[in-house]
Amino acid sequence: MGANQIGGHAAISILETYGVDTVFGIPGVHTLDLYRGIADRKMRHIGVRHEQGAGFMADGYARASGKPGVCCLITGPGLLNAATPIGQAYSDSVPVLVLCSVNASKDLGKGRGRLHEISDQRAAIAPMTAFARTIYEAGELPQAVADAYKVFETGRPRPVVLEMPLDMLSAPADLGRPQRLKAEAPKAKPEDLAAAAKLIDAARTPLVIAGGGTVDCAPALRAFVEKSGALCVTTTAGKGVFPDSHPASLGASLSLPATQDYLAKADLVIAIGTEMSETDSWNDFVTFNGKLIRIDLDAYTLTRDYEPTVGLLAEAGATLQALMPMIAAKAPVDLDKAAAIRTRNRSGLTPLQQKHAKVLDAIRAAVPADGVISTDMTQIAYTANTYFTCEEPRTWLHPVGFGTLGYAMPAAIGAKIACPDRDVVAIAGDAGFLFTVQDLGTAVEQNLALPIIVWNNDLLAQIQMDMVRLDIGEIGVRPRNPNYLALAEAFGCRAVRPDSLSGLTQVIKEAFRADGPTLIEVHENAAYLA
Amino acid sequence: MTTCGEFIVRLLESYGVDTIFGIPGVHTVELYRGLADSPIRHVTPRHEQGAGFMADGYARVTGKPGACFIITGPGMTNILTAMGQAYADSIPMLVISSVNQTDQLAMGDGRLHELPSQRNMTAGVAAFSHTVLTPAQLPQVMARAFAVFNSARPRPVHIEIPIDVISMPIDAALSAKAWPLPSRPAPAAVAIKQAADWLAAAKSPAIVLGGGAVEGAAEALALAEHLDAPVVHTVNAKGILPPGHKLRAGENMALPPIRKLLESADVVLAVGTEFGETEMYPDARPLQLQGKLIRIDLDPEQLMRGLPADCPITADAKLALSDLNRQLASHKHTDRNGAARAAETFKAAATHWWPAVGVHQRIADVILKTLPDVIMVGDSTEPVYALNQSYQAPTPRAYFNSSTGYGTLGYGLPAGIGAKLAAPKRPVVVLAGDGGLQFTIGELAAAVEAEVPVIVFLWNNHGYGEIKTYMQNRQIKPIGVDIFTPDFQVIAKGFGCAAVHVENLDQLPQQLTEATKRKVPTIIEMRPQA
Repeated sequence: MGANQIGGHAAISILETYGVDTVFGIPGVHTLDLYRGIADRKMRHIGVRHEQGAGFMADGYARASGKPGVCCLITGPGLLNAATPIGQAYSDSVPVLVLCSVNASKDLGKGRGRLHEISDQRAAIAPMTAFARTIYEAGELPQAVADAYKVFETGRPRPVVLEMPLDMLSAPADLGRPQRLKAEAPKAKPEDLAAAAKLIDAARTPLVIAGGGTVDCAPALRAFVEKSGALCVTTTAGKGVFPDSHPASLGASLSLPATQDYLAKADLVIAIGTEMSETDSWNDFVTFNGKLIRIDLDAYTLTRDYEPTVGLLAEAGATLQALMPMIAAKAPVDLDKAAAIRTRNRSGLTPLQQKHAKVLDAIRAAVPADGVISTDMTQIAYTANTYFTCEEPRTWLHPVGFGTLGYAMPAAIGAKIACPDRDVVAIAGDAGFLFTVQDLGTAVEQNLALPIIVWNNDLLAQIQMDMVRLDIGEIGVRPRNPNYLALAEAFGCRAVRPDSLSGLTQVIKEAFRADGPTLIEVHENAAYLA
Repeated sequence: MTTCGEFIVRLLESYGVDTIFGIPGVHTVELYRGLADSPIRHVTPRHEQGAGFMADGYARVTGKPGACFIITGPGMTNILTAMGQAYADSIPMLVISSVNQTDQLAMGDGRLHELPSQRNMTAGVAAFSHTVLTPAQLPQVMARAFAVFNSARPRPVHIEIPIDVISMPIDAALSAKAWPLPSRPAPAAVAIKQAADWLAAAKSPAIVLGGGAVEGAAEALALAEHLDAPVVHTVNAKGILPPGHKLRAGENMALPPIRKLLESADVVLAVGTEFGETEMYPDARPLQLQGKLIRIDLDPEQLMRGLPADCPITADAKLALSDLNRQLASHKHTDRNGAARAAETFKAAATHWWPAVGVHQRIADVILKTLPDVIMVGDSTEPVYALNQSYQAPTPRAYFNSSTGYGTLGYGLPAGIGAKLAAPKRPVVVLAGDGGLQFTIGELAAAVEAEVPVIVFLWNNHGYGEIKTYMQNRQIKPIGVDIFTPDFQVIAKGFGCAAVHVENLDQLPQQLTEATKRKVPTIIEMRPQA
């Protein structure tokens, strides 16, 4: 740091201290001084075509890498354009840090009709964040960013918004060499661990539910499942944390009847890092008659909806490791049942789901085990959430709770930028793809080898089915779609419509090696899916 | 049996709503039950941001609220930016959304589309936000919403209905008739007397007309002529004085000659304006008025913001201007040289326009000559910043854009679609830049589907040209502004639109004329060097 440093420099240099090397955003009149910091500090900047893209990219970046994704946004429309991604990251516990400008301190709350002004920007965004704070002086930055990283690394990760008034961004500021402040995650009390170990040892048919809170402790989880003689089912957010090929795996099938039947009969359920929410089971509540151990970093989630026999307010990996020496090794009693449930869960597909399955098999054949699949709210992804097999964590991205459209492609861009050496593929429906189509330009500009699969049924199919089922006149669900191949080519993107399943696999593999993105259209009525 | 959802549609019919913008989703299917059989037209955008901007454009042309049906969570976060723009520019907009069911509100169970509080989030961009907990509340809540639109400072209203309430039966005795709405406030006689006395005695009065004066356009014109007072329009007032009117003094209050006109006037009458920063580019220093200031505004709080008035009048502009005209009817003014002062100010102001005004005004002249009753809808882009200074709209409500107030990108195309739906017989030209058009490009599909032939005049400078200039002027290394730009011709055709390049202005009239004959949008692209 040195002479002529301003708030904008301070904001970027404090991020460097925390290892941030990439930010997503669009510069604007209000963020010029923040971009002065980005330019001078040589931070990597990914320019997007709409701030919604910036937010989803930061989300995909974070889910694929485990590192917080960072956005730099303008006051007002820039921040509110990212409100949906911030909401998605909130509901799926993803670490996203948003730096944005806000009107000058002297103008805050005055309603003078200033550019980009709303009555209270911080209040509008606060409900979707762990916290949202106004930074009046650069000197407040080290503590604010440390607080954000406390949330990301030792608490339930959720978005943090730091808004910086225009005068703060341009005021002289020299933070010297900012230090990184460290915090520790909560640990379980020894007596609670002992109580949990006792329940585990006494259980005959324990079942682990591994949620999004376990994605960083796959080895510990596997060791624990194997030693305790448990079976393991994951949520959608936890998909891949326990290998689907493992004999004790029930896959990510919490929403399927065979798994729910088993869950109801298990004499002990160990729920780790999961809300066990509506979007995990697609039931109001799941039923279980055995005892319940819950491990969660979030005190509220620990007791929400299901009162645990033993609740451990602690980080998942450390807790599982602490339990290991305390429990006896046991052979699983229900491996045969697990195999039968897996078979049942993959059979009994509807004709439409069978089509999905064919396409998903072709995709699986192209994507290596550590490849990342980023999906949208689309019927083929709903089928895939349970059907598609994953062997590694942080490989399946889906907008689970908030359930927004337009997630898949920008999140895939973020994932590819975070993990350039891994293969990344996006799967979007025809309607969801149009929500954020403009960021194809970003993928082209960044030369990302990214296959983008558009599953096209020329329909808001899920909603059309619901309307028919509920005897509501069909309205607004048959959109007139563009020519997706022409659209992609206009963006300078390769575009193909494969004519066989093996062709689909081949095209995806080629797209992984291309020097830019490839749009791949698969139509539900394609002859090769009949 | 009538459900709550069907009842809402009938209520909207009673209040004269004829168009609803929305994308149906799992949470809103019950709102759509009544819609298929209703005379209300449903238009499906490709993103809820498009729904909001379409409703805004519809409202600015008709003066009637634009109405949207929006899903819980991501639908609402998607529309926030559009609500922000409508909030900042005082546009009536009715946003009806679903929310999670009553017994799950604020429980944080991780339900689909859930937020901790949707209402807290929208409170910053709405006049009010209401949760309908029983169907019986609906008539009153809807009446309140329309009272805001009709009788107060118009701004967005958000009504959210839990999904269990939407499908509840309605008591047969509940009436879906519109309630009689309150009159707008008339001015206090004593205040009008005071204002009239000052205006009668004035030697060099001047008038500032804002967006709030539009409905009193005839009265404002009559008063200006009667007083022989030069008139300054804000952007949202353009068209109150017909093109070429002798009292037109100019548009941008920051230009030194206009500043001088107002600062040296002995009485300034300001109607329905915030004196906002975005009316005073690039010099937002408050005016230093020497004479007396009379302000008329529907919003008493707004009268206490910006310039303090010597005579603040809370009233509807039309009523207050009528009263002033009546009060001054017998007044015979001595020669105030209004036309001469206006002409002198206008001529001097024009020498302060930035150079870009030249080319854009020439383009606008061609558009206006070819399509005399054109409605021009603009994004935040160079042609708009230029025409804000120089353009003369043929009528009120025929020139608006998002560079005022909130200042968002991506407004032009969807707002233009809304405008064309509201005034199908008038040509609508969207002024867009390449950066802004990409924000909401998916709405081309909505326009093709709804057969809305908007004409998009695309000023393609391959990047965020405005921000690049700002960066260069402030010695910031340009970053994130030289973006990859797609081929809009191919994109447009991919969406089923027409698209042409024009190389020079001579080609423009024919292309405009042909565009008006199509059923689908036409993109007319022009490059700065052309």
